Amino acid sequence: MHETIFSFRNVRFRFPDDEQLTLTDLSFDIHRGERVVISGPSGCGKSTLVYLLNRLYPFNCDGIISGSLQLFGKDAEEYAPGEINHRIATVFQDPDSQFCMPTVEEELAFTLENLHVPREMMKQKITEVLALTGLSALRHEVIQSLSGGMKQRVAAACALVMEPEVLLLDEPISHLDPVTAKEFILWLDRLQHELDLTIFAVEHRLDLWDSFFSREIQLDRSGSIIGDKLATAHFPVLLPERASTMVPETVLKVNGMAVKSHGKELLSGLSFTANRGEIMVVAGPNGSGKSSLLKALCGIYALDAGSIQAPGIGFVPQSPEYLFLEKTVGRELAFSGIASSAQLNDLMERLRLKEIENAHPFSVSHGQKRRVATGAMLADRRTVLLMDEPTSGQDAAALHELHRLISERADEGVTFLIVTHDMEFAESLADSVLLIKDGKMTGKYPAQDVWNHAELLAEHHLLPPKGAGRLAESFA
Amino acid sequence: MRNLLHDMNPSLKFVLVALSMFAIAFFFNPLTPFIFWIGILLLQVFMSKVNWKAWSLFMLPFALGAFGYLWTTIVFAADTNGDVVWSFLEFQVTAEQLETALSLAFRVMAFSTLSLMFAFTTDPVKFIMSLMQQLKLSPKLAYGVLVGYQFLPVMKDQFQQIQQAHRLRGAELEKNALRRLLGMRRILIPMLAGAVRNAERSAFAMEARGFTGEARSDYFEVIKLRKVDAAMTAVFLLLLIASCSAEYWF
Repeated sequence: MHETIFSFRNVRFRFPDDEQLTLTDLSFDIHRGERVVISGPSGCGKSTLVYLLNRLYPFNCDGIISGSLQLFGKDAEEYAPGEINHRIATVFQDPDSQFCMPTVEEELAFTLENLHVPREMMKQKITEVLALTGLSALRHEVIQSLSGGMKQRVAAACALVMEPEVLLLDEPISHLDPVTAKEFILWLDRLQHELDLTIFAVEHRLDLWDSFFSREIQLDRSGSIIGDKLATAHFPVLLPERASTMVPETVLKVNGMAVKSHGKELLSGLSFTANRGEIMVVAGPNGSGKSSLLKALCGIYALDAGSIQAPGIGFVPQSPEYLFLEKTVGRELAFSGIASSAQLNDLMERLRLKEIENAHPFSVSHGQKRRVATGAMLADRRTVLLMDEPTSGQDAAALHELHRLISERADEGVTFLIVTHDMEFAESLADSVLLIKDGKMTGKYPAQDVWNHAELLAEHHLLPPKGAGRLAESFA
Repeated sequence: MRNLLHDMNPSLKFVLVALSMFAIAFFFNPLTPFIFWIGILLLQVFMSKVNWKAWSLFMLPFALGAFGYLWTTIVFAADTNGDVVWSFLEFQVTAEQLETALSLAFRVMAFSTLSLMFAFTTDPVKFIMSLMQQLKLSPKLAYGVLVGYQFLPVMKDQFQQIQQAHRLRGAELEKNALRRLLGMRRILIPMLAGAVRNAERSAFAMEARGFTGEARSDYFEVIKLRKVDAAMTAVFLLLLIASCSAEYWF
């Protein structure tokens, strides 16, 4: 057996304001060279675990910890602030808030300055880590101008420039689209082999990682271990198949739509129709104009050419709270005053919002916020609903809730246009798929025709769904 | 030559700007701020690559302000004794009044031109780095400002998105300025909530990379004081002395 580097013995952790423990009686050892993943639903304390290992907690939150936690055979409390961080480096989940300097080179230098590396060695170390990570071409690029996937690689390079022994990953792919995430994982796989790193990751969606990890520790909602086993390839979240409730009645008609912004053509020549109760998935590479399409449809962007015919189009942004204007959920739905109180009552009943009617819309869970936003749109009689990336960063339970929300509304005759990269999710719901590339429409296809068309999907930076049929068999 | 002001050490430039402002503030004759103002303008014309169109736009409110000072001091002066140098309608302008008015107006012009010169020729990131290296600003504060600077475009984007979302809900933009200001809280609260989250994430990311806020032993990008800086200091001081002593020449 290899050297033990982390050792947990009955570790309990709670935040000072909570009565409940966030982590309950964790006992396990991590050995050098292992690739361990901690899995569990959102809010099970996975990230807390990462913060305990890189010593951000308990100092930064006054958390209360008991039991024994040893890092490299020494009690965690004995390390001075910053002392452990060059041996245990971290990549966080949000690509946008991990950097403090403008360019890649300066960001790497920031890390080296923190470690008091002599100036003569900085250039060389930066050159080396960029060569190792294949990022040499990005050396003088401005970080904020890079794509999410590239930002995560830069974040990893910043971790690796410290020559760590352990790499902690805090849901590093949750903000990336599946193709980019796959590329990132392959890239990480190569680096782990080359550097013989120990990898300790927390993740709630393991299907994209295939057989990257060697060991999986499962946590439940209360933060206790419910399994510690050899990792196996995961299947995507199994969502129920849905029978289409589309009615042959055209409600949305888009003709020759074009959108320009600051002289740049965002969209051109889009023509398609949607029926009542149709669930249409809009997909394509990043920057292909998907979000512009949604914004143009609901009137945020003015059309440069073409026309849109629809009864009322609503929009649920990726952050539903952007829509909120009132202090309670009930008043939020009633804001426009279009729906009668009987209609509002009925709507709240159907969206299961009754129990949070008097709660502040900012204080409810993400899934509930989305239901409130959906309700607000439906109360305004907007029966064509646009959703921007609702699946991004969602765990299994959240995906089920989203699936139910969309499915039930479609049964009631609401038409959906959903932007998503998640083709498993799309497969379980979609009646049709609208593919977009470079601001132009490749075509609108019946959903069934797209899933097996790997080439077409690859052209649009999408992965074919891991067949639900095959999955059903293996579970039978 | 056209790079001189841009190449100057930002901390030194900052100190010189602050020093000049402080010194000029003690002179109440109109000539000192006037000469200083013209001097700074000439420096900018010959030693910088300023986008004059943008510069004029920024200068416009200051110029209006300066004219406002000039006008109100002439018209509403408390003390109206002395020789009348100019009269029109029922206004009688005395020499003393005119002098105070011009002094105030030129002072506004001189200070705003000086500030804009600093803003237009200084890279904010370099400025912070230089403050840390030359003026020993604490890294905790310095990197805090740098992170904030990185977030500005993100915040702008968020502001637009929330505004668009609100418009979609039918929340009309208030015509009344006060009400509009009050209505801003609907946009600012979700933005602040997001900003707090982002700030914590950034702080964690920095700390996880070994940032403790203590002084650094070595900098990757060393910002030095060079010969150019000595020369430019001489130019600034010369201009400052010339304008401060202007009264005695004429």
